[in-house]
Amino acid sequence: MFKNDERYWDINLLNKWFAISSVVFLVVMVWVFIDDNDDEFKEYQKEFRKLQIEVTKEKLNEEQSLVDGKSEEYELELARAIKLFDDKSEEVEKINSELGELRAGFYKNNLKFKGEKAELDVLKFKLESANLKGGSESDVVRKEYKEKSSAFNELKVIKEQFEIDIASREKKIKSLKADIKAVKDERDKILKKVDLAQNRLTSLDRSNMSFMNKLGDIVRDLPILDFMDPYYKVKQTVVKDVLYDVNFTAMPAVDRCTSCHLGIANPDFKDAEQPYTTHPDLDLYLTSKSPHPEESFGCTSCHSGRSRGTSFLSSAHTPNTPEQKKEWKEKYDWKPVKHWLQPMLPTRYTQASCFKCHQNTSDLAGAEKINLGLTLIDRSGCNGCHVSANWESKGKSGPDLRKLNEKSHPEWVAKWIKNPRAFRYNTRMPHVFEQANQEKPNIAKRNVTEIASITHYLFEGKEVKNSKNPSKYLGDPSNGQKLFSAVGCMGCHVKEQDPSLAPQTTTFKELTKLQGPNLIGMGSKVTPEWLFNWLKKPHEYMPSTRMPDLRLSDSDARDITAYLYDNKNYDFDQLDAPEADIEVLDELTLDWLMKMNPEKYAIEKASNMSKDEKMSFVGEKSIRHYGCYGCHNIDGFMDAKPIGVEITQEGSKPVDKFDFGLYHDIPHTIHDWIENKLRTPRIYDRGKESEPLDLLRMPNFHFTEEEIEAVTMAVLSFNTDKVGEPLLAHNKVPDYNKEGHRLVKKYNCQGCHLIENRGGQLVEQIGAPEYAPPNLHSQGRKTNPNWLIKFFNNPMTVRPNLQVRMPSYHQISDKEWDTIIKYFQSIDDENTGYRAPHQFASSSSKFKAGEKVHELGACNNCHFYGTEFPTQVASTWAPNLALTKERLNPEWVVDWLREPQTIMPGTKMPAPYLPTPDVLETDDAVETWGRDLVKLKGNQEAMLEGLRDYMWNIKGKVDISAEIKEYFDENGYDFSDGSEDYDDEDDWDDEDW
Amino acid sequence: MNLVAIKSAIDALSAPTISFTILTVIFPFIFPPSDWFEKIHRKTGLWRMWTKPGGVIGMILITAFFVIGYFDPYFNKTLTKADNFPIVLMIYSMWFYIWLGMFKAYRNDIRIEQGLKPEEYNDPDDKVLVWPDLVYIEFICLILFQVFLIVWSILVAAPIEEPANPAATPNPSKAPWYFLGLQEMLVYYDPWIAGVLLPTFIIVGLMAIPYMDINKKGDGYYSFKERRVGMFIFMYGWVVLWLFLIIIGTFFRGPNWNFFGPFEYWDTHKVEALTNVNLSEILWVKWLNQGLPSNILIREGLGFVITGLYLFVLPVILAKTYLKDMYAAYGPTRFVSLMTFGLVMLALPIKMYLRWIFNLQYIIAIPEWFFNI
Repeated sequence: MFKNDERYWDINLLNKWFAISSVVFLVVMVWVFIDDNDDEFKEYQKEFRKLQIEVTKEKLNEEQSLVDGKSEEYELELARAIKLFDDKSEEVEKINSELGELRAGFYKNNLKFKGEKAELDVLKFKLESANLKGGSESDVVRKEYKEKSSAFNELKVIKEQFEIDIASREKKIKSLKADIKAVKDERDKILKKVDLAQNRLTSLDRSNMSFMNKLGDIVRDLPILDFMDPYYKVKQTVVKDVLYDVNFTAMPAVDRCTSCHLGIANPDFKDAEQPYTTHPDLDLYLTSKSPHPEESFGCTSCHSGRSRGTSFLSSAHTPNTPEQKKEWKEKYDWKPVKHWLQPMLPTRYTQASCFKCHQNTSDLAGAEKINLGLTLIDRSGCNGCHVSANWESKGKSGPDLRKLNEKSHPEWVAKWIKNPRAFRYNTRMPHVFEQANQEKPNIAKRNVTEIASITHYLFEGKEVKNSKNPSKYLGDPSNGQKLFSAVGCMGCHVKEQDPSLAPQTTTFKELTKLQGPNLIGMGSKVTPEWLFNWLKKPHEYMPSTRMPDLRLSDSDARDITAYLYDNKNYDFDQLDAPEADIEVLDELTLDWLMKMNPEKYAIEKASNMSKDEKMSFVGEKSIRHYGCYGCHNIDGFMDAKPIGVEITQEGSKPVDKFDFGLYHDIPHTIHDWIENKLRTPRIYDRGKESEPLDLLRMPNFHFTEEEIEAVTMAVLSFNTDKVGEPLLAHNKVPDYNKEGHRLVKKYNCQGCHLIENRGGQLVEQIGAPEYAPPNLHSQGRKTNPNWLIKFFNNPMTVRPNLQVRMPSYHQISDKEWDTIIKYFQSIDDENTGYRAPHQFASSSSKFKAGEKVHELGACNNCHFYGTEFPTQVASTWAPNLALTKERLNPEWVVDWLREPQTIMPGTKMPAPYLPTPDVLETDDAVETWGRDLVKLKGNQEAMLEGLRDYMWNIKGKVDISAEIKEYFDENGYDFSDGSEDYDDEDDWDDEDW
Repeated sequence: MNLVAIKSAIDALSAPTISFTILTVIFPFIFPPSDWFEKIHRKTGLWRMWTKPGGVIGMILITAFFVIGYFDPYFNKTLTKADNFPIVLMIYSMWFYIWLGMFKAYRNDIRIEQGLKPEEYNDPDDKVLVWPDLVYIEFICLILFQVFLIVWSILVAAPIEEPANPAATPNPSKAPWYFLGLQEMLVYYDPWIAGVLLPTFIIVGLMAIPYMDINKKGDGYYSFKERRVGMFIFMYGWVVLWLFLIIIGTFFRGPNWNFFGPFEYWDTHKVEALTNVNLSEILWVKWLNQGLPSNILIREGLGFVITGLYLFVLPVILAKTYLKDMYAAYGPTRFVSLMTFGLVMLALPIKMYLRWIFNLQYIIAIPEWFFNI
């Protein structure tokens, strides 16, 4: 120790401090390494490795049991072969020593050969240069080159001899070993799977590894060294077409979910717990064969969340239920990730992501919930007030009110506006009034006057039509009831008093039953005259209606009118109609006037208004205020702007842009906000002191919980998430397909017909498919588009045994029909727009054979031949064959004749009998089957074509609607002679209408 | 008195109007610039702040405040925010270093009174070696500070938020902690003053101090009495106009930059009346009962006069009267510089009070030229 009198501080003390701080620093550095390497995902991966070992062991056992005992057998065989080989060791040794010498010789000569080649190349270059120069030098060089060249060739021969000798020795050894190889190959073939499992286990399970491998397995995961090839590592998929928006640019998603969800694409783990469990639908997702492979879709494209997170919390999981939330809080200390704008969608809302790539359809297979949500948005008219650019409104969802005076009377309308459900328990008309924020007495009073004013406005200047002689429009209600269920009304309507029996709007099929309103209480609502006219010509009252013209006769229309008019809602009739209170009316008038004028002028203006003027003024303002025109056409509002917030990007709106009101009992997430808004539309007014005209206005649709979830999902799907072009499925579908599909939905074609295997509920109402509207399977290939558009415009009777009929849609334009036809064609990959008439030779033996088959088939039992009636009873009647050439496509007809059941399951059409080759080879074949059939030598395809050609030759009247109508007018649709049909009839009568 | 009452009392007291006033009023009694203040400083026992027990009590009070705050559901949210951790550190270190300096200064003051040399003084040949006396200690400090930074970074995640979105700005939108004092100034001054002029003056002023300081005493040792006016002014600017504003900006400003007491819930819906008026409006509309003149210079005439008086006439008057001796001692250049920096510094509390008392928005308000004072 030296003395340090020159120093201010005690150096020993400083040394001690230095020592202490260095040690602390070291400790902290160790801590840094630990902190850096103890990622959560590694724990999961370790756990998963154990699971994998278990599963692999199980698999190994399984495979081993499959090849039970064989393994030892092969080992014995192998040992025997090796022993045989060993017995010939002397010979092998001799060959081997020869091989050694030969190889040495080859090496030496090959070296010489290469050297010579190099020199030869030099000479060649020299020769070429000399050639270029010309002169005598080239001859000298040429000579030299030639000499070298022959020396080189000699060397080449020597070298090649060595090669030949070596090859022959090697072949010899190989043949000696052939036995071993054969045994080995066979063993490998049988035990391949066992070996695979064994190898897998060796790479997973340390206890199965050699010492060096074990050491390597440990070292590869050590800190710092783990940059090379660690076992435990972040597993990620960069999904270049799924973009995460960072406002000024968009980044490809980097999904690291599989760092913990390790068994997600492996069916072996379907019973494992989270996070290792298999995805529930591998046919649709993740696997490379599925339509959504992991490498192009990743995980967050559907589930959202923080894709780069490698721990439970940092990946922004969202609990699906309060119970799960509680469980997570206990288990993971879960809390929402702050500042992450796209937390994972709760599992019940995952389908919201389908819409990103599958826009413009509410019929996506496997996405029933979002289908329901989008359909409900269409049906409830959400778009009438809330514009959504990516799900545009297709017409107003409510009826046109411009001729309301012809249809109903003011008392009914006022009561209806006040409380629609008091009249029809399952109406789609939402409740605007009597809602949570309108309970204060002064508000309720204002509402009553507002309702009276709205009614006043709707009827203003119009005469209410109460026909003097209503019985003129009323026929036989019991026949009306029969017709109601027979002609096809029930494709779109029900008439169901009992709420518990009413269709629930939760499945596609049930939804098609509610295309039109539930037709109860019509006697209280409409006038018989209007109802009669409406049934006859709906589009004349309301050009934009979706209700088609069923071409009812006057007497049929009267009967149905009587049937519907018979039903009254007496409870509703007894309610008091809302009436305007003169004081409240003054207050409302003034309130509205003051919105636009200074108070002084407002009072002045109000004092100059009569009561009627005030009523119509307040009525007009109230309609605008509540946005009635979002769903209804109303005079004076034809171009009015929607009143609601635009929802095109609602799903991506920052949560703090949602007004949760003053209470803090609703979790601050977008989906919670929307759910509560739909459940109680005025909920966010709680505790607020708003002026009457500032109250929230969204009406109550009385959605069920399931519907709320579906609509919430649809709204969540309206977002700004960016997806690259290659993933946009909707861009791969032609526009006419999307449009045609939406038209089919709009007019509820699927209420009656099965299209793309969906819909057709009317079949159940009618009982048997042969009496129901046809299944439109293969429709695109089936009919000639030229005929089809004629048919759509002016339907004729095609299936004579149906009482239900294709209605006339006067409101659908040719352009729309064309779209629908193209849509049908695109379903079947058919794209022929115009067709030349089918050509055939009626003198060919194919044709004649067809004629014979036709004769054998007795088609005329059921089919019409022009005006020639079938021989069997009306219940079995089938389409007019004289129509075929105009209506059907020739290729389809052959397919149809081959197997009618696959094209239209349940059809009564039998496949025609076609003689088989062996039958046609008998001696008297010509006699029985005719010369031409025999000539075809059992070529059934040719027979079908012949039959088809024969049909094309059938002549006769094409449109036999009148003849058939005449027959049924005379005889009725009573098919009771057929026992099966009789049962069906019975079923209908049993139903409680 | 229960905890709730204490909390609401603290909430009420911490309103900028009250807390700032209290601080300003008691400040001269803590750092007495004259004999009169000194007398009261001694009498009330405020001097005990700068003794060892005083230091410990200060530490305890600060800690108690944070402990209570930690267990309060609302204060906890602001206190435990990763962004605000440096401010907690700042409060501790601020107290400790001010106390340390004052403690040593007072000890020296006593020694000087007794005719002794200051503590730090040894003898004229006194020397300290750079190595190891300085560099070694610095090296040890460096290691320990490194340890501290590493531990901090392990335990507290970086306060990174969502990608910046021009359509959705955070509320409250706060600057980094060291700029929160400036942001608080923005409440009272136009951006070009609060954000450009004042910071420039602060930096230039701090650099100018050695050139303006002609007091030879207190060099190389701690002393309060020998330079008490200078210390008072500096401390006021440093502690009240800088650190205290940072604390307000951090803990007491919530959504919409509304004031919230530390134990208050940050309610986004809170509404505060903003009814500020400009001086020109007070003059022409309120007093003279007429509309604003269309000529901008006439309209803002009074503001220009007042500002001119404050910046250009006041120093002259002071030099002739109250600060005559000082002017003589400092000379015109030093005096003018000192006055400029001093008056600009003083303008901040003056404007704050004008706002609080008269709801005064601007003394000169020419938004047409982006010129507002």
